[in-house]
Amino acid sequence: MSIAVKNISKRFDSHPALSDVSLDIQEGELIALLGPSGSGKTTLLRVIAGLEFPDAHDGRILFHGRDVSGLSAYQRKAGFVFQHYALFNHMNVFENIAFSFRVLKRSQRPSESVIQDRIDGLLRAVQLEGYEKRLPTQLSGGQRQRVAFARALANKPEVLLLDEPFGALDAKVRKDLRRWLREFHDSTQLTTIFVTHDQDEAFEVADRVVLIDKGGIQQTGTPAQVREHPANDFVADFLGL
Amino acid sequence: MPGSTTLHLKLHRPLRATGDRPAVRRFLIGSVLVFFILFLLLPLVVVFQEAFSKGLAAFVETFRDPYTQHSIVLTLVIALISVPLNTVLGIAAAWSVTRYRFRGRSLLITLLDLPLWVSPVIAGLLYVLVFGAQGWLGPWLREHEIRIIFAVPGMVLATLFVTFPFVARGLIPLMQAQGMKEEEAALTLGANGWQILWRITLPKIKWGLLYGVILCNARAMGEFGAVSVVSGHIRGKTNTMPLHIEILYNEYQFASAFAVASVLALLAIVTLILKTRAEWRAEQELRASRPSITP
Repeated sequence: MSIAVKNISKRFDSHPALSDVSLDIQEGELIALLGPSGSGKTTLLRVIAGLEFPDAHDGRILFHGRDVSGLSAYQRKAGFVFQHYALFNHMNVFENIAFSFRVLKRSQRPSESVIQDRIDGLLRAVQLEGYEKRLPTQLSGGQRQRVAFARALANKPEVLLLDEPFGALDAKVRKDLRRWLREFHDSTQLTTIFVTHDQDEAFEVADRVVLIDKGGIQQTGTPAQVREHPANDFVADFLGL
Repeated sequence: MPGSTTLHLKLHRPLRATGDRPAVRRFLIGSVLVFFILFLLLPLVVVFQEAFSKGLAAFVETFRDPYTQHSIVLTLVIALISVPLNTVLGIAAAWSVTRYRFRGRSLLITLLDLPLWVSPVIAGLLYVLVFGAQGWLGPWLREHEIRIIFAVPGMVLATLFVTFPFVARGLIPLMQAQGMKEEEAALTLGANGWQILWRITLPKIKWGLLYGVILCNARAMGEFGAVSVVSGHIRGKTNTMPLHIEILYNEYQFASAFAVASVLALLAIVTLILKTRAEWRAEQELRASRPSITP
């Protein structure tokens, strides 16, 4: 699904987090929002997700050409993965992933065997077969992150939004998960946006990189374009060119 | 030599970052212990000793008295009404001030504690002023034949006021520290407000909540001042256990007074044990919610 961000501004108290941001994302793209902490990249992701609402001017969010600005996070059919996983610690892995089915009205809820099949498939996709009965606290960080992925994917979202998905993991696990994300994206072509402050991560994984600083987009382009033609001092400086 | 001094300190004072001398430490710990034994532990022992001073038969006889029985029932009834109400109100208050940003939020957090810094007697008098025969609503209440002051409804109101802060105060720091990422995750997965409360928030805070409810209950059953003002001390009608103890004591029925008091004291001990356990579990709850930085 294509995503269009049009003239979005967002203030927290008196501090501007985003000022007049516009961005077009094509269907099936894998996009990195890259910038230092406090740049507004996470806020932009949360506005796209519907977890944060932009200041009421003429800002809009379009999914596939349709205005979703007034829709809730769930109605936008966007899967969201949080930086520290935000797993439900009192539920086992199976129930965490099944959550989006459990909260459906009975008339819309798939049968237990359909849910079981779906979750078996997801566990296979994230390489966690046999972990159904474990509690989140009994898993490593990398395993928790994969449960969070599976949970976000359970109800077949049309967009995947990831907030610093590998930020809390050690270098080795991080590399594996990066490769996994790239392969997963290549096989599903699910439109994906992820936030990171790590340029290696952005350049290695993303089709296009969006550089953000001080609540505004500084440059958008493929990793090669950005590296070869930094648009301004901030980009050159941030990338260490 | 500065280097060797540091080494010396490290070797011989591993546990003290404050730098207090041993004498100071012994004095402080000693005086706390003496205070604890003299003013907290001994009286508790005396309560039970006095309760049985006229033998087991007299102790049992106290609880055969219909007035005593009534005071126990009334205490339980008031707690059964006010504790659930304050649990719901406390959750709503904690939810509001930790989940929403609004004007007057910090003022509200301060005011939640109002019942703790107002003397309970004043709380009772406030209700007399509002609901009493000479009060603001007095004429209207009389017209409709509703009795609040010197009746059970007034005692419930006074108890509600005094015990209001406990649940909210227990939950606010816990909910603030836990954050609301899990709630946001549930939102993106399609849960509505009720589902988030029942399936995510309540399981997250259950031990902190229990801790607040236990304290709320202990105070509801033990409250004297506010309830005393609005009760009117009608035996067999508006006497709770604490009020009944005072009456028995004033009538020189010491053994009976202490017998009833021992039940309240026992309740306090059970509360303390439950509270400690809930507190410990609440800490685990908080720790589990913290993100770990392990691979």
